[in-house]
Amino acid sequence: MTALYLVLGTLFGFVLSRSGAADYNFIQRMFLFESFQLYGIIGTAVVITAAGLWVLKRYGKTVTGRALEIELKSFHRGNVIGGVLFGVGWSMAGMCPGPIMVNIGEGKVYALAALAGALTGAGVFSALYRKLQGALRLPPLAVGTGEG
Amino acid sequence: MHWAAAGAAIAAITLLLLFLANRRLGISTGFEDICSLVLQVPYLRRPAVLSGRRWRLPLLAGLVIGGWLSAVTGGGWAPTWDLGLFDQVIGLGPSGKLAWMFVGGAFIGFGTRLGGGCTSGHGIFGLSNLEMPSLVTTVCFMAGGIVTTQLIYRVLF
Repeated sequence: MTALYLVLGTLFGFVLSRSGAADYNFIQRMFLFESFQLYGIIGTAVVITAAGLWVLKRYGKTVTGRALEIELKSFHRGNVIGGVLFGVGWSMAGMCPGPIMVNIGEGKVYALAALAGALTGAGVFSALYRKLQGALRLPPLAVGTGEG
Repeated sequence: MHWAAAGAAIAAITLLLLFLANRRLGISTGFEDICSLVLQVPYLRRPAVLSGRRWRLPLLAGLVIGGWLSAVTGGGWAPTWDLGLFDQVIGLGPSGKLAWMFVGGAFIGFGTRLGGGCTSGHGIFGLSNLEMPSLVTTVCFMAGGIVTTQLIYRVLF
């Protein structure tokens, strides 16, 4: 199975690289409303995935016949605050999490600093979870904020 | 690559990941997975993180390979510091760029984990699955990005 994830990740990375989704200028032009490219990519992906999910959920099984499991994310205050903070970071770095990895592969040296920052941010968040949990009324630790 | 082709390809990858492996697309939890290799805190000892490492770490490695492959087959791979609009308008040198990227990355790491997902898990999978938390988070990160970029490129610089 590891090979499958490697292959799907590679395809995903290639598409992100070639489409502009991992390009600083495309990201800024999206946020400046100067380029439709990223809106088009996300919009198309959502519409087709929605149709595919509808079909897959009706079928209800994976290729091996196991029941389809889609873990839903919990709804909490972190969605709003975390979403805004992530937006600030996406704008500054011109990369969201997938493209950080893609940019490293492309040879963009500064993407290594973005990854170091992202790991630091995720590590600090994880270490502070119990404190943030009370202040922001986050879900129980075993549930977490949502996998994704 | 045309946006429609890229969107369709991302949809295909998302659906294949679910149909072949019963996995919900999501990248940002991969940061927790990497942290969990070295950091021993309760939040990173959850079964969701420990069992997710087996598939998310190879997926993340694939993203790096995909970027490399794209460069190699499209004009050649070489380390670069080029940063387009940033170089033209803000123009920090290498050390300034590293600091800027580290701060941006920290916002990304903290924000995506607090928000429970990123562009892939909320923006693509969550929206496609009509999940309310994903709609709220996506609106918030798009708003955060729009305000920040407008501030940087239309006000500050």
